[in-house]
Amino acid sequence: MNYVYVIVAILGVILLWLISTYNFFVSSKARIKASIQEIGNQLKRQFDLIPNLEESAKAYLMHEKKIYDALTEARKAISGAIKSGDVQKMSDAGSKLSQVLPQIQVVVESNPELKASEVIGKLMDELRDTADKVMYARRLVIDLTADFNVKRVEFPSSLVAGMCKFDELPGLITPEKGEHVEVKGKEIQTPKVDLG
Amino acid sequence: MVNIYEAQRANKIKSTIIVAGFFVFVTAAVYILVQATSVYMGYEFGGLGFMGMALIISGISSYVGYYYSDRIVLSISKARKADRIKDFNFYTVTENLAIASGIPKPKLYVIEDSAPNAFATGRDPEHAVICATTGLLDKLNRTELEGVIAHELTHIKNYDTRLMSVVSVLVGIVALLGDWFLRIGFHGRKSDNDKGQLGAIFLILGLVFAILSPIIAQLIQLAVSRRREFTADAGSVFITKQPRGLIMALEKISADMEPLEVANKATAHLYIVSPFKGNVKGAVGRFAGLFNTHPPVKDRVKVLSGMV
Repeated sequence: MNYVYVIVAILGVILLWLISTYNFFVSSKARIKASIQEIGNQLKRQFDLIPNLEESAKAYLMHEKKIYDALTEARKAISGAIKSGDVQKMSDAGSKLSQVLPQIQVVVESNPELKASEVIGKLMDELRDTADKVMYARRLVIDLTADFNVKRVEFPSSLVAGMCKFDELPGLITPEKGEHVEVKGKEIQTPKVDLG
Repeated sequence: MVNIYEAQRANKIKSTIIVAGFFVFVTAAVYILVQATSVYMGYEFGGLGFMGMALIISGISSYVGYYYSDRIVLSISKARKADRIKDFNFYTVTENLAIASGIPKPKLYVIEDSAPNAFATGRDPEHAVICATTGLLDKLNRTELEGVIAHELTHIKNYDTRLMSVVSVLVGIVALLGDWFLRIGFHGRKSDNDKGQLGAIFLILGLVFAILSPIIAQLIQLAVSRRREFTADAGSVFITKQPRGLIMALEKISADMEPLEVANKATAHLYIVSPFKGNVKGAVGRFAGLFNTHPPVKDRVKVLSGMV
């Protein structure tokens, strides 16, 4: 009689494992969806801050027409991305703004009045902080997707993934070939620093 | 060079081994002490009697401590709530890293003390608290602060407060049972129901365990605490994707010789670097090292520097 109990116990453990693995996959998918919404949330925060920056620094920014145009373009990209809800568009829009920020930083640093202004100082801190937040929100999507994809191919959870037909999730699309993953000859050489 | 996923996996395995070893040791100690006590008293208390009492006593005090850990520690440490404007870096760094690790932002508090240190507590990520001293917030730059906060967030995410509470309940049970057995030895009476050879063995084993097991259990508890610190360091690198910030923060904090005024032995294990500074070298230092809640900063920096 005893070995019937043993078999039932073993089957019970296997069933529990199956359920918990399946739950991991479906809950991961839901979490990834939520984390994509988080990127949209952070982008919206950036979007709301930009008009303040433009207002406070308008006089100076107007002189730097390139920067002003880049800002406007970034605003359009962000609002379009938030409307579409597409994670790739959101990621690209976030990058657009991150690229403009250093240029604005240069303008602020080279203008003593702008530099001394506490309002501008706080705004620049907030802008840099929102750029960080978008970066961390993207990172969460990457990490969650990685966990999902790893479990999908690892044995024995790959059996559950195969049975329930879970496909590989793309996460954030980054081209796997290109400049950013190559190191060219010049980059390997030690840079010469000229302080003269 | 060890990549961060390997480091995390290694830490998980080592943690599990130490904690499992701890449970095995406690089970053995409890079994022997309960048996020895009942042999001495001449009858069996239905097996679970003494152990049940010890569990209740140890359990209630530890559970209350664990459940209200955030409030208790804050009241001991004289902390004030953090403010987004005054403590901009602290506040925004924690916000950002909480997004990256997928847990809600913990409540933030600041202690007015020039000694740099930080700790995290709370029974689960929804009730978590991170506390930093003004000394830490002034001395570290934003990248170093990110390393420290990521370390604390990893403690919260790994439910380390819960783990250490369970461990200390078990240490308490072992200590209580050992204590009772020794007391019965002084006051108890010889039983008529002599169990003979087996009884004698249990009595001797009981004596040995009663004296040694509380200290052995404590040493294992401290080993668990040290392993969780290494795990939290690895978790910090996982969140921030670079070990430099935490390395520089640890070196800055340990270089500061000032003792933390509000620290005491009960809360020492929660801080990022042990608030009790002692630098004894040699064999004595190594032996004293077994009683440390934290691994030496040198070892932590060495492990961190090897991570990719």
